[in-house]
Amino acid sequence: MDDGQAVVDLVKQLVNRLLAAALPAPNTTESTTTAQRHHQQALRYAVRILSSRMTPSIAADEAAMAESITRRLATQGNSSDALTFADLYSKFALKTGPGSVSNKWALLYLLKAISEDRKTHKKLAQSDSRVSSGMFKMSVPGGLPALFDSESNGSSNGISDISRRKFDKGRRDDNLRNLPLKETPEKGWSGGVLMVSRDPENARDMAYREFANLLKEENEVSEEVIVRDVLYACQEIDGKYVRFDKVIEGYALPDRVKVPRATRVMVRKLCELGWLFRKVKGYISESMERFPAEEVGTVGQAFCAALQDELSEYYKLLAVLEAQSMNPIPLVSASASSGNYLSLRRLSVWFAEPMVKMRLMAVLVDSCKVLRGGAMAGAIHMHAQHGDPLVHEFMKRLLRRVSSPLFEMVRSWVLEGELEDIFGEFFVLGQPVKAESLWREGYHLHTAMLPSFISQSLAHRILRTGKSINFLRVCCEDRSWADAATESAAAAGTTTRRGGLGYGETDALESLVTEAAKRIDKHLMDVMYTQYKFKEHCLAIKRYLLLGQGDFVQYLMDIVGPELSEPANTISSFKLAGLLESAIRSSNAQYDDFDILDRLRVKMMPHNTGDRGWDVFSLEYDARVPLNTVFTESVMAKYLRIFNFLWKLRRVEHALIGAWKMMKPNCITSHFFSKLPRAVKLQLTLTSRRCQVLWDEMNHFLTNLQYYIMFEVLEVSWSNFSNEMEVAKDLDDLLAAHEKYLHSIVEKSLLGERSQALYKTLFVLFDLILRFRSHTDRLYEGISELRARSADPSLPARDKTKSGRHLSTKSSEPGSWLGEGRKALTQRAGEFLRNMGQDIDSISKEYSSLFGGFMSQLPVQQHIDLKFLMFRLDFTEFYSRVS
Amino acid sequence: MDSEAERTARESLELAFQMSNILDTGLDRHTLSILISLCDLGLNPEALAAVVKELRRETPTTTSISTTPSAP
Repeated sequence: MDDGQAVVDLVKQLVNRLLAAALPAPNTTESTTTAQRHHQQALRYAVRILSSRMTPSIAADEAAMAESITRRLATQGNSSDALTFADLYSKFALKTGPGSVSNKWALLYLLKAISEDRKTHKKLAQSDSRVSSGMFKMSVPGGLPALFDSESNGSSNGISDISRRKFDKGRRDDNLRNLPLKETPEKGWSGGVLMVSRDPENARDMAYREFANLLKEENEVSEEVIVRDVLYACQEIDGKYVRFDKVIEGYALPDRVKVPRATRVMVRKLCELGWLFRKVKGYISESMERFPAEEVGTVGQAFCAALQDELSEYYKLLAVLEAQSMNPIPLVSASASSGNYLSLRRLSVWFAEPMVKMRLMAVLVDSCKVLRGGAMAGAIHMHAQHGDPLVHEFMKRLLRRVSSPLFEMVRSWVLEGELEDIFGEFFVLGQPVKAESLWREGYHLHTAMLPSFISQSLAHRILRTGKSINFLRVCCEDRSWADAATESAAAAGTTTRRGGLGYGETDALESLVTEAAKRIDKHLMDVMYTQYKFKEHCLAIKRYLLLGQGDFVQYLMDIVGPELSEPANTISSFKLAGLLESAIRSSNAQYDDFDILDRLRVKMMPHNTGDRGWDVFSLEYDARVPLNTVFTESVMAKYLRIFNFLWKLRRVEHALIGAWKMMKPNCITSHFFSKLPRAVKLQLTLTSRRCQVLWDEMNHFLTNLQYYIMFEVLEVSWSNFSNEMEVAKDLDDLLAAHEKYLHSIVEKSLLGERSQALYKTLFVLFDLILRFRSHTDRLYEGISELRARSADPSLPARDKTKSGRHLSTKSSEPGSWLGEGRKALTQRAGEFLRNMGQDIDSISKEYSSLFGGFMSQLPVQQHIDLKFLMFRLDFTEFYSRVS
Repeated sequence: MDSEAERTARESLELAFQMSNILDTGLDRHTLSILISLCDLGLNPEALAAVVKELRRETPTTTSISTTPSAP
């Protein structure tokens, strides 16, 4: 043990020198022997001290040591000394390598300790002032002041403890002996006060020591260990004493550990942080596990990431606190601390802010356990409505991260029409449908996933914009919408790249959506109007299906009429199609656009036996993609209904006009008329008069009804619809306008549900009119036949040629008939006319009653325009007066 | 190299001596050098300081020296 030997030698030398320095000049041999004995004793003593393993109780930080020395020098008023010392130290510290002092810190400590001791020793020796400051008190008693310093509390070991106490005792005795020497001069000076405080150092000192002992007895565990355990508990790790107790569901000191109640309570309070941390961490790890199963969506992931960021901040704090907790706690003194120490109270101060944050996170975790996607973002947003700025900041940070996937989805939906939503978190849901129902049913809002910071109207706009893009892409096969998208993004100030938007910027999102919506809608409208000629098609439907093109309808009716009187199953649609073509060509419709005419077809509805052609005939218009978004099946069915009604109306009108052709006074009938005997003449007059009157009524009714339908209903609705088409901003508006247009037509032309009874009455009236027509046909046929049969030789020359020719063909019969004479003729005619008269009477009665019923029901109708119809029909108040 | 080390050692000692003077420890160069060596060898500075203090104290109380070291 070279080292050991070297040590011993050095120690010997040291002892010698010290004693030599201390002792005055060596005396006689007697003093040399005592000196030698002295030496030996001193040496033994020194060795004992050295081997007592006294350890300094502070960390071996040389810079801190130098710093503290400098500071002490400065505070004692020797600033120049302090500066010099600092300067020297800096030079000293630079000396490294062989030959330098390797354990600089030890040296500094040594110097410091010696100088302190010398100072206090000097002060004691002089002892001018009363030592009253606590600092000196601590260092006075005992010859080894450093030992009883405030720093060395918990970490001392047994031997030094004992040695300390022993030395203490020794010193105390010493002091007691010493003190009276010092104090006698002053005893008389301050009287009683001095007496009381005569042993201040010792009394206080003793009190401190007793307190320290008491503390040690009461606390089985020292505060430092508890503090460290609490710090572990706050990271969900069971410490030596503080453990997770399943019974109370929290961290606490178990009862078997003996600590004062105050400490126990405080530990429990501090460990709340650990409990909260455990909850948050549990949620995060659970989510991570569930992620592969695709139950946790992107928003959930973002939430976990944000939580983990907050937790890493928390870890940083804990690391700092742990470093501080390594410093021992000063027990009972007000002396200078050895660096920042950590007690339970200080810990509770440090934990205040993390506790608030952790509590927030735990609350959020609880409320978001079952939520996903937009709903989760909405729930967190509700929690963020808080007045405290700390909470607000925190939540804002969190929400920014959580809602970034959502905003991303909105952005890509609004600018590109893409729905990238694997986990079903977005509030727009799409489903695969055919092209024609893409607009109406392809996408809809999922309100459960709508976060609360996006309003309903904004959500609708978002939905519409994305839908428009998809519609353009799928149905219109249009590629130029992408330009519109980039334009809108530029206008809104963001880019079309990812990550442009964040949580707090709902306004920015709104402006982006508005811009995009505006441009895309405009683009869509342009495409609809220019490329697909929506307006033209609407107009064409009106002209053909709603019988707007009068001349075409007239021709069609003329040509197709005879065909349709046949039973339905004998009619071939090809023939009808051919007839349709010829009708088109012979009217102004031939100048129409070929594309439009191409779509017009004849449709034969499914028929039963006994149906006539009239019942099954209809026209249809083929609207292709994308127009069939507007003209869907149900819409076309409505058009069909209207067409049927109008067609029937026209047919009746046509029939009535046909009847007039026969009924109008002409020379044949009038001539015949003049030939008849008086009785027959009268009857004929009456009959025909009645016929005409009835015809007139019916005509009046039909004309006004026709006028009402064509102008007041159809044209007015059409002009309204045109105006709305002008101002329509997007396809939804257009659809709504068209719906309204159709609805108003249906309502006003008595086809709606409210007018069911009226509608039935109307149809009965129509049937009646048709019956009338057939009756008049028969009547006039009969008349002309009678006339033919009663041909007189003495016919006036006027119609000789005509009737003569006519007669000559029937010459076989008249002879026999004429032979019967005028009586038979009269009788026959009378009979015939009577029958006819009766029929017409019955028809007329029926007509009046029905019409009266119709008129009475009209005022009950809600629609204001029907009042105009009523006015027209009854402008002379003829009917109301009669009834 | 040796001269280098020597020089460093000398300068270090000089600096240390000046520092100890500022701190008024009353140590002379030789004692200081011994103390430095002892520190470097790994002895506890606190113990060494205690030794210095005790042995210094010996001087004024040489008469009662018999009593003090009797405490074990």
